[in-house]
Amino acid sequence: MNDQQQDVLATVSTLIAEVVGDELELDGPIRLDTRFSDDLELESIEFVALAEKLQEHYGDRVDFVGWLSDKELDQIIALRVGDLVEHIVACL
Amino acid sequence: MPVVAANGARFHVQRLGSGPPVAMLHGLFVGSLAQWYFTAAPELARTHEVFLYDLRGHGKSERTAGGYDLATMTADLVALTADHLQLALVGHSFGALIALRFALDHPDRVSRLVLVEAPLPPSRFGELGAFVRRPPDEMLEALPVPLAAYLGRGGRQARRLLASLRFLATESSLVADLEAEPDIDDAALAGLTCPTLCLYGESSSCRETGERLARVVPGVTLQRLPGGHYLHLDQPAELTRRIAEFCRG
Repeated sequence: MNDQQQDVLATVSTLIAEVVGDELELDGPIRLDTRFSDDLELESIEFVALAEKLQEHYGDRVDFVGWLSDKELDQIIALRVGDLVEHIVACL
Repeated sequence: MPVVAANGARFHVQRLGSGPPVAMLHGLFVGSLAQWYFTAAPELARTHEVFLYDLRGHGKSERTAGGYDLATMTADLVALTADHLQLALVGHSFGALIALRFALDHPDRVSRLVLVEAPLPPSRFGELGAFVRRPPDEMLEALPVPLAAYLGRGGRQARRLLASLRFLATESSLVADLEAEPDIDDAALAGLTCPTLCLYGESSSCRETGERLARVVPGVTLQRLPGGHYLHLDQPAELTRRIAEFCRG
């Protein structure tokens, strides 16, 4: 992982923790291979909150909503934090 | 998280894009604004200002004990969209009934109407009727297949959804309000004046309502898609395409 990926992962981890609050059920830190659904158990309405926080942080450079809307439900369920980090790095 | 006070409750709202306004309404129980936020809303937002909100008791909106009748929930929409003289409305299931009621009561304020799987009469919504009579723990089994699989492991997501269903089914007036909800009669439906698109799943238990609307409302367009009641899960791309095409006229 390069420095930029490291930075984005740190930011995304902070934002996820803000969305989920003290209900984060994870042993250890959020990693690139952490899955949004299976590991973090994020609800779809919490994805909306995460999208809002990403927008606040990165502005229009990162289109999280547009990126997700191109995916089927099973793809969204299978998403890993690393997929989002990769998308953000590509947008910056 | 943007929260707006309207009609005596607090609502979680989201806005995407710019252009002519369109409000999108989700269905009861398992719905939230996320169902549109991650499907049709981003595409519509390329040409429209899209307004989304969680219905009372759902998503991140206030869990009110009462007010789940069509009149109150339509008053919620009226209050939340008071800034717009005219707008397009897109609704799924009970959200479609709210949009329909709004269009019947305020014909000059609705430019276009998209009804996805609107169930009439509201009280005889077959899937929902069977659904709400189950104990909350068994409701999981009655959910759309992708959602049930998604929640089947019994983790945090399942616990949160069950808590939400339990509240709506046993601690709010939603079920009683639904059962008491009168039908909208054909004469009233015939008064619908705005261009209207009805979208129904070929295998949905609501499809007869689509046929009724096509029969009694002049100028309504009825389209069927392969799938059931939850078309945003069964056919997200096709549903999005048809909604966007119709809203762009």
